Amino acid sequence: MEHTAADIRFSDVSVTYPNGYTGLKTIDLNIPAGEMVGIVGLSGAGKSTLIRTINGLVPITSGSITVGAHQLNGRGGAQLRGKDLRELRSNVGMVFQSFNLAKRTTVLNNVLMGRLYHTSAWRILLGAWKNDDVELAMSALERVEIVPKAYEKASSLSGGQQQRVAIARTLAQRPQVILADEPVASLDPPTSHVVMRDLQRINADLGITVMVNLHFLDLARRYSDRLIGLRSGEVVFDGAGADADESVFENIYGRSLTAEDVLDGQAVL
Amino acid sequence: MATLIAQQQPTARPVKPTTQLRTTLWLLVSLIVVAAFWSVQIKWSSLADFPSQLIKYLGLMLFPPDWSKFGEAFKATILSVQMAWIGTILGIIVSFPLSFLASRGLAPRAVNAPLRFIFAVIRAVPEVVIAILILSVTGLTPFTGALALAVGSIGTLGKWGYEAFEGVDPGPKEAVRSTGGGTLALIRWGVWPSAAPEVLSFWLYRFEINVRASAILGLIGAGGIGKMLQDNVQFRNWDAVGMLLVVVVVVTMAIDQISGAVRNKLIHGTWRAPRRAS
Repeated sequence: MEHTAADIRFSDVSVTYPNGYTGLKTIDLNIPAGEMVGIVGLSGAGKSTLIRTINGLVPITSGSITVGAHQLNGRGGAQLRGKDLRELRSNVGMVFQSFNLAKRTTVLNNVLMGRLYHTSAWRILLGAWKNDDVELAMSALERVEIVPKAYEKASSLSGGQQQRVAIARTLAQRPQVILADEPVASLDPPTSHVVMRDLQRINADLGITVMVNLHFLDLARRYSDRLIGLRSGEVVFDGAGADADESVFENIYGRSLTAEDVLDGQAVL
Repeated sequence: MATLIAQQQPTARPVKPTTQLRTTLWLLVSLIVVAAFWSVQIKWSSLADFPSQLIKYLGLMLFPPDWSKFGEAFKATILSVQMAWIGTILGIIVSFPLSFLASRGLAPRAVNAPLRFIFAVIRAVPEVVIAILILSVTGLTPFTGALALAVGSIGTLGKWGYEAFEGVDPGPKEAVRSTGGGTLALIRWGVWPSAAPEVLSFWLYRFEINVRASAILGLIGAGGIGKMLQDNVQFRNWDAVGMLLVVVVVVTMAIDQISGAVRNKLIHGTWRAPRRAS
């Protein structure tokens, strides 16, 4: 599979929700193509908002974001919509905490949903996928080692397998960027490592930019080259994962650390 | 022991909430019930005769029923079921696309609202009334019955449809949007896989309802078993009426059982309803 990468640049980005809640405050970030970025912070710190602004699932209030050739603007600026917005999204894969698979259809159909942008109306309607796309989906499943289950119902898979199908769905998009919003929060510790290793290998082998929201700081430190710490919608840490020691995390979390902040600590307890 | 806790100052006890509104509503409901009984002018004396009359007519009908016209009755039943079948299919064809347009999030509000209103109006009108309205155009034929059932089906299937589409797990919808899929992709792959078993079972359920309703439509002359029933009641052929009742009940129950089993298969994956956990 060939993939081209795209830089992501946040300029002075703020997000205020309709209820007045501030999601993000004047964020400036530059994420060069091919980075593996972990984003940490308490729930409500803006991790999910940050990730969802990149594919336009959450519209930004002010500032601008460029993703490769595309630009997303705040209110008042030119809005990306319709076909242009869908083209941006087709280049950006997304993995969710609750997998978001269509459970009653096959694993293969779920992966092929990554091709929807490139599929004509009648093929979408009848589920008559192109042969090339089926082969692409199969090779995506191969990467996450689920090919034998291609024709099984998604609901028959375990949580870890479902998340890996969701990762295959993003791969079928041939994306420049993969966004992962708490991808292991619903999984047990060993499975969490499997899924994180999948994302790490995809980043290393295919050069796809990967941005992962994580709650557990040991996972964040272990699997990301670069760590971004968010607190109340602001970036309070941006540096190498290896540089983030306990005091850095205490600053990000605004409190001292507990065993619940560590995945493998939880397994012991 | 005066107190259950070792505490000097008891916390303030909450005041019992007043129930004035509830009392008023109960009084109102009781008043309506009394008024209703009074206004329909019930002849209580006839109630005393009711059991004996019932036994008399059941005896006339069922001991024994007249099976000589069974062949004709069977054909009439098939006609009724066909009426129900065609009505259901036509109702599905029209209501299916409309219920997508009536779903919030899948079509603009300006389209949702009038469709929902139309569904509600149709549901407010019984099939018999719809048939009477239609027959001025198409005349008294079984097809009129089928059309009336089709229109009636649009009201319920349309509502059940948009409720099912709006009630699906938002996760797959979000996933489709995140891949760059448009509205068609959203409906086909974000909504339909989750809603399909429920919607298919609604179609079957509406068919069951239409089978029963088709007999009633026969009473106003749309043909089928209802018409045969009406004709025999008119000439007081009670033993034939008894036979017809048996046929109607057996056929309706058989269709309910088969359709119910298929619905269970669709929803739960088993032919019989799963036993509830105690």
